[in-house]
Amino acid sequence: MSGIAQKLASNQKQVAISEFFEKNKHFLGFDSLARSLITAVKEAVDNALDACEEARILPTIKIQITKLDTKKDIVRLVVEDNGPGIPQKSIEKVFGQLLFGSRFHAIRQSRGQQGIGITGVVMYCQLTTGRTTHVRSKIATEPTAAYVDIGLDTRKNKATKANAGREIWYNEDGTGKEHGTEVTAEMKAKYQKGRQSVWQYLRMTSIVNPHAEIIFVDPEGERHHWTRVTERLPTKVESIKPHPHGIELGQLQRMVAESKDLNLNHFLLNNFSGVTNRARKELCQAAEIEGTRKMKSVKGDDIRALLESFQGERLFNGLPVKLLKPPTNCLSPIEEMLIKKGLSKTIDSRFVTTLTRVPNVTQGNPFQVEVGLIFGGGMAGDKPVEILRFANRVPLMYQQGGCLLTKAIESVDWRQYGLDQPGGKGVPKGPAAILVHLASTNVQFTSEAKEALADNAEVMEEARKAMLEMGRGLRKHLEKKKKMAKTKEKFELINDILPAIAEKSAQILERPIPELSGSITRIMSAVISESTTEWNKETKQTDVEIVLFNYTSRVRAYTILVTWPEKAGATMEKNETGGRKEALGVWAWKLESLQPGEKTTISYSLGGLERGDWTETEILFRGSQDVIGATKMDEKFLQEIRRQEQILGESGVAEPEAETDQKQAETVEEISQQKEEKMEPAVAPPDGQRTLFGGDV
Amino acid sequence: MSRMRTPEETKAAMHEVVEEMYDRIVKGEPPTMTLPVRTKNNIGFDKKLGVYKYGKKRSIRDATSLGSAKQLLRALHVVEFIEEMLDAGKSSTLREMYYISEAWGMGKFGSQNESNNLAEDLEIVTKCLREDFKLRPEEDGARMIGNLTLRERNRRGEWMRINARDDVGDSGYGVPYNVELEKIELLEHDIDFIMAIETGGMFDRLIENGFDEAYRCGLLHLKGQPARSTRRIMKRMSEEWDLPVVVFLDGDPWSFRIFASIAYGAIKTAHISEYLATPSATYLGITADDIVAYDLPSDDLSKKDIEALNAELSDPRFADSWWQDQINMMLELDKKAEQQSLAKYGLDFVTETYLPEKLAELGLA
Repeated sequence: MSGIAQKLASNQKQVAISEFFEKNKHFLGFDSLARSLITAVKEAVDNALDACEEARILPTIKIQITKLDTKKDIVRLVVEDNGPGIPQKSIEKVFGQLLFGSRFHAIRQSRGQQGIGITGVVMYCQLTTGRTTHVRSKIATEPTAAYVDIGLDTRKNKATKANAGREIWYNEDGTGKEHGTEVTAEMKAKYQKGRQSVWQYLRMTSIVNPHAEIIFVDPEGERHHWTRVTERLPTKVESIKPHPHGIELGQLQRMVAESKDLNLNHFLLNNFSGVTNRARKELCQAAEIEGTRKMKSVKGDDIRALLESFQGERLFNGLPVKLLKPPTNCLSPIEEMLIKKGLSKTIDSRFVTTLTRVPNVTQGNPFQVEVGLIFGGGMAGDKPVEILRFANRVPLMYQQGGCLLTKAIESVDWRQYGLDQPGGKGVPKGPAAILVHLASTNVQFTSEAKEALADNAEVMEEARKAMLEMGRGLRKHLEKKKKMAKTKEKFELINDILPAIAEKSAQILERPIPELSGSITRIMSAVISESTTEWNKETKQTDVEIVLFNYTSRVRAYTILVTWPEKAGATMEKNETGGRKEALGVWAWKLESLQPGEKTTISYSLGGLERGDWTETEILFRGSQDVIGATKMDEKFLQEIRRQEQILGESGVAEPEAETDQKQAETVEEISQQKEEKMEPAVAPPDGQRTLFGGDV
Repeated sequence: MSRMRTPEETKAAMHEVVEEMYDRIVKGEPPTMTLPVRTKNNIGFDKKLGVYKYGKKRSIRDATSLGSAKQLLRALHVVEFIEEMLDAGKSSTLREMYYISEAWGMGKFGSQNESNNLAEDLEIVTKCLREDFKLRPEEDGARMIGNLTLRERNRRGEWMRINARDDVGDSGYGVPYNVELEKIELLEHDIDFIMAIETGGMFDRLIENGFDEAYRCGLLHLKGQPARSTRRIMKRMSEEWDLPVVVFLDGDPWSFRIFASIAYGAIKTAHISEYLATPSATYLGITADDIVAYDLPSDDLSKKDIEALNAELSDPRFADSWWQDQINMMLELDKKAEQQSLAKYGLDFVTETYLPEKLAELGLA
């Protein structure tokens, strides 16, 4: 953002906006008539989503595109939201001013990183059609809406306004609109369908914004509706201070110049994340500057020395200065359950697995990778899988091949997980779609076009690991499906066919119907578990039932374990069989004696969830004889959960503000590690743990 | 074996099959049905009968998989259906049974082939004939022309005397599906041998050329792989009238198989070989030598042809040296020829040159 803004600011004086626009349209997103329309929709929708998020309103966004002149490719775009609205005085600023400077030092995850802003759309309309953009906005505290036409004076390079006034804003149904903003823009643009279309952009937006309701009326009058699947708004993100590892010389110079701090010590402690008192001392020593130096006297070479000690080029005691990692609460992941819901509502399928990795840091910038895989259902089986790429909840629709996220997908040998992939390379084929979302305070793109993520080893590694986890989930699902089909056959055999054979043979021979239990035991010769996980409309709970059949000739004893979304705040209810908590999200029941030919039922309900949150329960067992339909408990898996549980437990403790100086390097490392762990948001899944949110839908 | 059973005998035989299943359930085991293995690896020459029969290999179909269990259930439904027909004095075609199975719920057939195979399975285990089961095949029997006289009981129960030369049109006498004694009696003949012909085209050529009268023979159209009734009536004529049977087929691996089923017994029906096979039958042509000797127009062997020939090399029915030579020669030539390729030398070549020469070798002309 700052790059473009600066460029714009410096260029403004010398060249006309139209010239600037023409020269830079490729990275402003207005390089083709089709893309211009997508960009315009994107800017308007991003603004709406951001405004709603900030005001904690569940967004409902309507987009309508009408063709005004087919020969000259003139279209009208109307975007209406239910956001907080913009006070009359500010409308001009928001739509007529280039948004530079406003978030200059704010480091956090934001949609706005990726565009020129809505002003670009106003400019584009003015330049291509000569028409102004009509804005109508109402805030809740005022009875009427303000409206105004915003344009640009291309000679003076200034925003113009005309026809300002106030009116009562009626909804379609005749009621008065409470709050919201509506933008009507007329521009030269082309509406097209397919992979790179407004429709696809909105569809992708709806996947990663499951809290939004999006209605789109296309030029043919067809209405597309993406419903809201959760009432949960994205968590509010905190801004963080820059981390020394992610700072560039220019930025540091500016920070020093603008500093009002008493001296260098205060400057370091107040303006950066990850700098402890110990680190502050060491940085000064490494840079060979007194901590008590006034900021005014910190100049050229000093700043360079400081930067070098930041980057570990200047050493302290022969080692780079150890810094804490930046906090990660500046990130707002979509989270596993919501990605799952978003995917399920847009794509018809049989299986969805999603995974949110623990936040990580690259070059001082926190980032977090999230992935989702949806499989089966109505998707084509012989085509490359659909790749859905996102950066900070914004869909990436161009330059798929050159994007880091695509490369991460291609780096996995999908054949072992049940997808086709000629030669084990490239985008896999199969009835699937793969979603990758990078949340970061500083998304690095390959070019100003901001459509493909630049290579970065840490991000790549995180994305790749996430793919592998998901792949394992898919393989397990496919194996389970196969096994279930076999089990189902066996049940049909003993429940339907065998009794029919007994009855018919008895009838033909005119003898009594024989007892079947012996034959059944011989045919099955196994312990079988069947489970259902179903949403109960009446109780608004998720009912789970597990039935265990002993079709062997001996008494069996097992511990049956299940996974449940404890982390997501679910509660275990109506669990009459009792049992006990085995670990976070794992419940266990001891079954002492399961008699031959008998069955046992375990049932419980999960409260505190929404419909579709939890659709499949994994059944695990401890015991000598295999249980068909359940997985043998891997104790390592349990240990890992317990370890994570401990970490999450500790994170509940308030973080001590005061840092005590540590003289021993090892101790410092321990502490820094501990602190890093504490930074994890409570929703983070255990490291390296497979997702618990996969399952049939 | 070659006699019909009474309905009581048939029922008793079927009940043994049912009992096997029932008893296993009572013992607390999965129900089973024991069948001979029906492949070329389990057929052997029966010296006493002079035909190939199933050997001792048995396969047990048990209800431990869904597919097998469904087969057992279907078998029970078929048994019940046959009993009903026996009691009501009715019969049905295999195809009708397939459609009737629609009402059998879990026991219904997936395809016509399944029901045909199951009827054969039941024949094999019960040692009954499908005629005993009152099940008719769909396919009609062969056509026959020549100076031979038989008596057929028509559907009104009256016996009709038919001479297969004088009382029939150009299409000849149609052999019914049931050619047992209660339906057909062989009366008299004035012929020296019977010639079985693979294709309708050749059958009609010989009739047009008056071959049956010129060479005093009965002509029989096989219609490809001959139906059971065709093979059965050939056997009866051969035995009851003591007539030689010569077989005139295309020169390809499939014709060799047709001959084997006529002379030695078919693998699929090896349980009733002694009832269907004519061990005295002779392969007249077209042989592999003929392709060379008569320089016949020929086609290259397909991949499937070669596979079939190689399979025949290890088939016990083709174990003698004459057949081994013929099969190997065909493989070497990599050629096959149709009966009608003889027309290369004119329409009369077959009746004036080829057949007389071949029959002379056998002492029949």
